This record gives sequence, C-alpha cells and structure tokens, in this order.
Amino acid sequence: MGGLEHANWFMSALFGSMCLIIVVSVLLAQRGREMFIRRIPGLNAIEEAVGRATEMGRPVFFSTGLHGITIVTLQALAILSYIVKLAAVHATRIVVATASATLYPVLEESVREAYTAADHPEAFRSEDVRFVTEEQFAYAMGCVGIMAREQTATNFFFGAFFAESLILAENGRALGALQVAGCPDPVQIPFFIATCDYVVIGDEYYAASAYLTREPTLTGSLIGQDIAKAILIALVIVGVVVASAVGGADSATNNFLLNLLASGAQ
Amino acid sequence: MWNSLLGIFHPAASTSALIWRLILAVAFSIALLVLLHRFLGPRGRRWLIAFVTFAGGLYLGLEYFLPVRGSVLWPTGMPNPNPDRAANILTPGIEPIGIMLSVVGAFTVGLGIYSLCQVHGRNVAQRRPGWHNSGAFFLAMSAMLVFGLWAHYLPDQDAPGGRLPWQESTYELLFGGIFMPLQAATFSLLAFYIASAAYRAFRIHTAEAALMMAAAFIVMLAQVPVGQWLTHGLPTTGPLAFFRLETLGDWIMSWLNTPAQRGIVFGVAVGGLAMSLRIWLSLERGTFFSEQG
Repeated sequence: MGGLEHANWFMSALFGSMCLIIVVSVLLAQRGREMFIRRIPGLNAIEEAVGRATEMGRPVFFSTGLHGITIVTLQALAILSYIVKLAAVHATRIVVATASATLYPVLEESVREAYTAADHPEAFRSEDVRFVTEEQFAYAMGCVGIMAREQTATNFFFGAFFAESLILAENGRALGALQVAGCPDPVQIPFFIATCDYVVIGDEYYAASAYLTREPTLTGSLIGQDIAKAILIALVIVGVVVASAVGGADSATNNFLLNLLASGAQ
Repeated sequence: MWNSLLGIFHPAASTSALIWRLILAVAFSIALLVLLHRFLGPRGRRWLIAFVTFAGGLYLGLEYFLPVRGSVLWPTGMPNPNPDRAANILTPGIEPIGIMLSVVGAFTVGLGIYSLCQVHGRNVAQRRPGWHNSGAFFLAMSAMLVFGLWAHYLPDQDAPGGRLPWQESTYELLFGGIFMPLQAATFSLLAFYIASAAYRAFRIHTAEAALMMAAAFIVMLAQVPVGQWLTHGLPTTGPLAFFRLETLGDWIMSWLNTPAQRGIVFGVAVGGLAMSLRIWLSLERGTFFSEQG
C-alpha cells in the first residue's frame, strides 16, 4: 500500500479533527489546566546517565542518526538541547555526531544556544559537534571510533537509525558505556532493547520534550496526541467489529463504513 | 503569470540563459543575505523563521488537502502539465520547492567538510594520539576528490584495447576496490553483533524473556526445513494443522507481531503529527534556539 498523493474528504476530516484536538489541548494547558503525564523510565534515565559521566569524569556521546532535518531529528535536537544544558551545569563534556551535512549547522547552533541558556557559553567547543560522513556504515564506524577514543561513559542514540543501530549500540556496550536510545522505527527498537540500558519506545519518543521540560504548551500537545490516538484506536475497533459482523474482508467490499475506513490506507 | 513564475525553476533553454540565470540568482541571494543580516535583529530573525516555516507548511498542507482533478488544475480549469498525477493549483510548485531544498542542502556540504577538516586538522597539527588516522582522512579525501572530478570531466574517448583511462581506473580502484568492500565488510559484522545481542536478549531470567525465547524459537524453526520436518506428521487441515511449525510461526508473525508493530506505528504517526504542528506554529521554537516569547 502506497501513501495517498492527496487527501480524500475522510482523511481531511480525520486529520483536521486531530489537529483541532491537539491545538485545543495546547490552549487549555496554557490557561493553567493541570495535566498528568505517566512516568517514562527511558527519559528519567537521562539525568542518571549524565550524572554517571560526571562522576567518572568522562564525556557523553550523542548520535542523531542518519536523517537530515526531519521531524524525527528535530525531536532528537530537543532532547539533545536538554542533555547539553544538564551536561553544562555538571561541567561534563558532550560530543555530538551527525551523518547529515544539512543538519550539521542546525545542530551546532542548537548546542551553542543550549550552552548559553545554561549560562556556560565558554564550555562550547565547536569541534565537539562533528559531521562524520553521510555513508551509513562509515558513519557507524566513525561513531564507534569516537566512543573508543574519547572513552565515553554514556552514549545517547536519539534519531533515525537503520542497520547501523546494532553496530553502534553493541560496540558502545562492549566499551562499558551506559546507553539510552530512542527511535520511532519499530524495526530498530528490538536491537536497542537488546543492547541499551534504557530505551524510549514508539510515541514516547515524541513525548520527550514535553516530559523533560514540563512546558504547558508541550504538555498540552502531548495530552492532545493521546486523545487523537484514542480516536484512532476507536476507529480500529469499529473496523474490526464491522468487518467481523459482515463476514470478513472478501464480503466486506460493499460495506460503506469499511470502504470509508480503508480509503485512508490506499 | 503563475506558470511564467514557475518557469524560472525549469532547465534553461540555452547556455547563455543558464549563465545569466546563475549570475542573477547569485547576485539576488547575496543581496538578500546582506539585507537580512544588516537590518534584522535577533527578534526579527525569529519572526522571519516563524513566517517561512508557517508559509512553507501552509503551502504543502494546502496542496495535500485541496481537491484535485486529473486532467485540469483545480480550480482554474487550466490543463494539467502532468496528467498522470491528480493536481490542484498548488501542485506544479511542489517539484521546484523540492529542487530549492536540494540546492540549499547542497550548500551545507561545504560546512560539513569544514567540520571534518577542523577536527582532523587539529589532530594532525597537535600530533594527538592516533593523528595518523586523521592524516589518512586528508589523503583519502584528496584522492577521491581529485580522481572523482578528473574522471567525471574527462572528455569521452575510445580507450585503446577497451581499457579505461588511467584516471577513471584509479577512481574505480578507490571506490569499487577499496570503499565498497570496506562498507560490505562493516555490514557483514552485523551477523556477529546480532548473535551476541540475541544471546543476551534470550537468556531466560524472567517470565517475559522465557516467552520471547519460546516465540523466537518457533519462528526460527518455522523458517528452516528441519523445523517443517519436525511437525510434518501433523495433518494439513483440521484443528491440529495449527500446530505445524510453519503455521504456528506464521501465526505469531501475522497475529501477534504485526498488530504490536502497527500499534507502535499509530502512536508514532500521531506523535509526529503533534510535533509537526508545534514546529509549524513555532510553539517548540524555544526548545531549540531561544526562549519562548
């Protein structure tokens, strides 16, 4: 199944209502409404991981994965920004590696701003934000080289990872680093679970900036996305019940509701 | 008007037109950058970034959601330049926007190379431990750059005896003979990493790990002939057919693994939507570059 080139009316209505829910949740949160976020162990571990590097007097390593400027890497940047502020306060060095030349200047600026926001602009070293290469496995080996040479105490892998995920995380583990990973790709999550100490799974990845900063705008958006997810779950249940009632997919081709639900997936 | 505006993004008709376009584009870009740098303070820059982000998102969003027609541009009724793709009035702008993004992205490659030279140059200059690796980087980059460009711009000629010109064969040796085998060797290391990671994951120390081990064992056995042979005595139809390893393995993958993966994908998609909205409306700007205003 390929993606839709243009939205049909059902997709537009569904998408529009989800956007509206998220925006309304943001507005409610900005007006001071209390909102609860469940505990996410992978994100709680960030502070412990940076603290470990501080105690050992060794640097922290952060990889943003292979993508350039995408939603996935922008979220990784938000997490990185938090980690840099934490590391700056603890006077711990952080080395950041990217595989995208497009992302590199944004990354450098973002790290510089985080050091400034933490009142330690003098701690920023431009050579600690590195463009390694755009080649997948050369990037993996370059990162492994950085981990080995710098003897990093903690490794963070947040971003879009593919086959190189296991090379990075397995070598990091062999070097004795505490590792925290987050990746929205369900294919790579098992590799990280097998090799990292803490893993941020699925939509927890996009909850990170709200969870870490507790900013009302971001918290509201997180609540909104949970309501939108509940709507999708309800639609799945309706689809399952109707498909079961009409006797399976083959005899369901003339069912209006099933055709409507399936139109979003063509 | 709209089509003539889009025309400047299409290939030039002649070499002289291309040169003129290049000169004008460079002059326009430099003038724009100088003006922005001169007259925009930090606050103005933030507003400009927010405006460009909003306008870009609005254009691409509207292009996706506006109604479309196959043969004409909706709603103008003008002929669709690409009848194979349903289009509205904003569709013809999608390709030029993609090209513009590629051009902007290409400029950043220079910054990436600068970063590499900065890190490795310092290693060589200060004779840090492992500085010879940084020296190897400069050697490799120079060799690939020189022979890559030389081979690319070499005039087409019939090589004697069907052999490649020496510049091209040197490039082939560097790329196909050294770089590609190194990539393949790194990829092949994955087999060993998977084995060691799987060993750790499948050590039975909790009930969940035991369950995972059992599921993995069935799925792996179902993929190989010996696994299918183990249960070949069971009937192919009826209730007992479910316990044939190939059926059981397929059931685990289709009925347990796939729904779990799709559940994660649902969450990720909605999370991505919320993140996109925050970026589009500049609600998350404070996380990256400046405090929220």
